[in-house]
Amino acid sequence: MANQILDNLKKAVLECDAQGASSWAAKAVEEKVDLLKALDALTDAIREVGDGFGKGEIFLPELVGAAEAMQSATSIIEEELKKTGAKRESLGTIVAGTVFGDIHNIGKSMVCTLLVAAGFEVIDLGVNVETERFIQAVKDYKADVLAMSALLTMYTAEQKKVIDRLKEEGIRDKVKVIVGGGAINEEFARMVGADGYAPTAPEGVALTKKLLGK
Amino acid sequence: MIKGFTRNYKPLEIATEGQLEAIHRGALTVLETTGIRVEHDRALKMFKDSGCLVDFVTKRVRIPAWLVEECLRRCPSNVKLRARDPNCDLMVGGDTFYFLQGMGMRYLDLDSWETRPATVKEHREAMIIGDALENMHMAGAYEFYTDRAGIPPCMVYLENLASGLRYCGKAEHFGYEDGCEKFAIKAAQELGINLLGEVGSAAPLTFYAGVVEATYAYAEAGFPVNPCICPTAGAESPVTMAGSIVLLIAQMMASVVMAQLIKPGVGVIIEHGIKPMDMQTGHPYFTDVSKSLTTAITNQLLRRYKIPSKSTSGFTSISKKIDFQCGYEKSMGALISALSGGHIQIFQGGSASELVYNTVLAIMDDDVAGWIGRFLEGVTVNDETLAVDVINEVGPIPGHFLNTAHTRKWWKAEHYATRVADREVYPVWVKSGKKDALDHARERMSEILATHKPVPLTPAQERIVERMLEEARDYYRKKGLISDQEWAVYMEALEADS
Repeated sequence: MANQILDNLKKAVLECDAQGASSWAAKAVEEKVDLLKALDALTDAIREVGDGFGKGEIFLPELVGAAEAMQSATSIIEEELKKTGAKRESLGTIVAGTVFGDIHNIGKSMVCTLLVAAGFEVIDLGVNVETERFIQAVKDYKADVLAMSALLTMYTAEQKKVIDRLKEEGIRDKVKVIVGGGAINEEFARMVGADGYAPTAPEGVALTKKLLGK
Repeated sequence: MIKGFTRNYKPLEIATEGQLEAIHRGALTVLETTGIRVEHDRALKMFKDSGCLVDFVTKRVRIPAWLVEECLRRCPSNVKLRARDPNCDLMVGGDTFYFLQGMGMRYLDLDSWETRPATVKEHREAMIIGDALENMHMAGAYEFYTDRAGIPPCMVYLENLASGLRYCGKAEHFGYEDGCEKFAIKAAQELGINLLGEVGSAAPLTFYAGVVEATYAYAEAGFPVNPCICPTAGAESPVTMAGSIVLLIAQMMASVVMAQLIKPGVGVIIEHGIKPMDMQTGHPYFTDVSKSLTTAITNQLLRRYKIPSKSTSGFTSISKKIDFQCGYEKSMGALISALSGGHIQIFQGGSASELVYNTVLAIMDDDVAGWIGRFLEGVTVNDETLAVDVINEVGPIPGHFLNTAHTRKWWKAEHYATRVADREVYPVWVKSGKKDALDHARERMSEILATHKPVPLTPAQERIVERMLEEARDYYRKKGLISDQEWAVYMEALEADS
């Protein structure tokens, strides 16, 4: 029974079936399946989707659909795990968001999805994120990496502003900062004092791993 | 059957009904008054017996309007082309639009932009690519690389056709020259396919013997006939666009009468295109805005007659390179042809005013063909595509559509994705070597050649093709069209490839 539930969780993610994923997650809790294994099954599925995306075989609608299916199951399982105190191992904690003024979500969401697929814990703050929310999240979640996105050139200054605030708070050396988005390039990343830049979502994951020595 | 592209809306109509009628009446008047010169005794007698006024001394045939109109009515509105692979049969007519492999005599070297005769291997590769390209619905093996290294001119069409039959399953067309069409027709009949028989007519108002012979050969075999009428305005037809169309339609009508008298009900597809002329050099402009205008009106007239159209608007570019000019001349010409209700568009691979064919260009052109085809298909409007429920479900931001089942179901069908266009974001483009569409097309060519395997001929089919070549070689050697020296070079060229 447990194996069947794990298989169905994986299948629901691969088929972008959010409703199915949440009901199989509830079933896993009810049947007292090893919830860390359930999380592993979900991660396996999203990794498969992420790999396909990296190879150009799977496209954004499926990537995002699978990520949302995973999220709908993960929230149920993690809620239950909190009660037992068990915690899943992750490669690191990432706080991510699109900077203040910029409402572009897709690129940032792609990176977040692929980071989850790679085994990171991702705190996605969404779009139009004010500087102080980034700072607070880095502190609250003890983030290993802060990932900021900006699509439009007029908002790139926001990334520098956040990095300057990290310095003011004395936590710049505790967190790696990566930047990305249509308006960003390598030179800009260096100029604002980021630790790295990647032009695509899969390269963003590789960069994160490299920065954390994973 | 290859479905091709379906135009799901009214065709572009740039001439009024009154203008069309004036052109139609003008063409009938030309045929009744001046008529057409026909250099063929058997045909002259046939025209005479069918009610035409024939002068056997000047070889002039004056065709009465009633006969023209009767023969126009005899033409089927849809013509089936039977391909070597039955899955690639075509039904030409209606609102269906097909792309046909382009033409060009010589191979274009992409490093030097110079031309040279093509090798056996280069023709074969072009056919394999043609077999693989999804938007190339019809093959044109005979008509490109007509300058072949080592192959005697009288054997080029047949060697090209053999290469096409061997390495591509799609429907073929064929021309005429020194009687070679008879060998091609016989082989096609044995293979159970047909060939769209391309027969030219010289402007103004002349049918030379070869054209008439070929029309007899194709029509008597029951193969569809494809009169090709492409005058140069100001030299071979009046300089005014309307006058050129009158002449083109008059020749079209004469071709139709000839085909229908030979074999009533035989399929006819009209190839057309009026080329403006450079009045300093005398060179025709194979692609031009006025050619698009005359193409649109000719397509309008052919739809009126319910006769399928094969357009040369955008079939080539005047540019010698694969560049911006090449892109816009070909795309704009083909788009107008498609929008105005054409049926077959000669397209992928040809450039430099019929001088060159290039396989990399064919791959790039195939993207354009897909783009045009997608435009023809139009927009599907129904409850599901209107997506009112989806919009209501998603609501304002942070809602979005990327995560909906509706997006996953529809995105591929709704939006056409080019295969080799550079669509990278700037930093990725820089990082991946600043590749342009030409680079991507070169890569795709290598990829297709490494992976695509056309369905091979069966041993029996191979024997038919080989016999066609052997009989033609024997015939032309006896006729003195292949000297001993040419024969030795010819055999060497074939052996070098084996």
